[in-house]
Amino acid sequence: MARIVGGIGTSHVPTIGVAYDKGKQEDPAWKPLFDGYKPVAAWLAEKEVDTLVFFYNDHCSAFFFDLYPIFSLGVGEHFNIADEGAGLRDLPPIRGDVQLQAHIAESLVNDEFDIATFQDRPLDHGCASPLPLLWPHRPDWPGTLVPIAVNVLQFPLPTARRCWKLGQAVRRAVESYPKDLRVAIVGTGGLSHQVHGERTGFNNEEWDHQFLHLLEHQPEKLTKMKHADYMRLGGAESVEQIMWLAMRGAMADRVRKVHQNYYLATTTAMTVAVYEEVGA
Amino acid sequence: MNPQLEGADQLEGTYVFDLRVSNRTLRINRFFWRLTQADWRDRLLKDEASLMREAGLSDVERALVRDRDWLGLIRHGVNFFVLEKFARVVKRTNLEVYASMRGESLEEFLSTRRVPAAR
Repeated sequence: MARIVGGIGTSHVPTIGVAYDKGKQEDPAWKPLFDGYKPVAAWLAEKEVDTLVFFYNDHCSAFFFDLYPIFSLGVGEHFNIADEGAGLRDLPPIRGDVQLQAHIAESLVNDEFDIATFQDRPLDHGCASPLPLLWPHRPDWPGTLVPIAVNVLQFPLPTARRCWKLGQAVRRAVESYPKDLRVAIVGTGGLSHQVHGERTGFNNEEWDHQFLHLLEHQPEKLTKMKHADYMRLGGAESVEQIMWLAMRGAMADRVRKVHQNYYLATTTAMTVAVYEEVGA
Repeated sequence: MNPQLEGADQLEGTYVFDLRVSNRTLRINRFFWRLTQADWRDRLLKDEASLMREAGLSDVERALVRDRDWLGLIRHGVNFFVLEKFARVVKRTNLEVYASMRGESLEEFLSTRRVPAAR
């Protein structure tokens, strides 16, 4: 049986990808960020994780507003990395596992979670910004992805509570897969930031740490918050943190944070955290 | 009114992108979105004005694009995540766009940040 070995929360700031591609791993301004991912990569290797279920959002790379799904699961042996206006990155295509992806889609739909599916569409920085920091990828990635895109761009967005329930349904899906696979759940985005309008540059470190505390110990409180609450507390685009709740919803009631790195350099509080289930 | 957004209208300098806005601005958002395609980028760099006309942008929209009025475009209802594709094509970094939306120079904006060198 497939089982969940842990969860990861991570920012997906596009600048991380740019700094990575420019080789800024030892640049003093970036080193605290990249160093913070080393224990995460070591954890994934130690846990021998085969598959990452990735809750991310598409930034109008795979989808445009003419058809923008609330939740959509990617199916394919390979996903190209999106050209977001600056050309292609030097990364191998991301690998997928069609049998697992199809099983999760079937399980979700039969569980009354009517998720959309996509094929032959690229994955953008929502996945590709943190992924190279999590997994070595020369000559190829060591495992596969189940990308689950969440609409956090065009209101109405799914509620925080709905994302939490999606995570719970994904847990049931993973645990009903007959093959022995070791799965980690990844929730991406945040933490505090706003990148549009005159309020651009807003941060709230106190709230960021409160969010991290609540996510670990009292996630139900976060499921009761409205989108406007997230926007007020963490900046408009921090509402994407509802994707961390999807990750948390896929985990056991009690978890333990085994690693955290928080680095607010310019605009976004770039954060990564690793969670294990208590008693697992 | 979407109850999830109750209170969002009280946030200064914040523009909710919902279906009403999206429907009104679909054309200009699509114009920017298409910059993920290399041929559309080449055509923009070659003749921006005629590409905007071909895409059916209004006079107001064409002026906002021509003036690189980043804040004006956001206030008009352009979604930031297609706008940033335009920024890549015209060689502006996100930090420069952020500074512009705040009414600051890049240096002014960076001086308000923890690690100005992280650019």
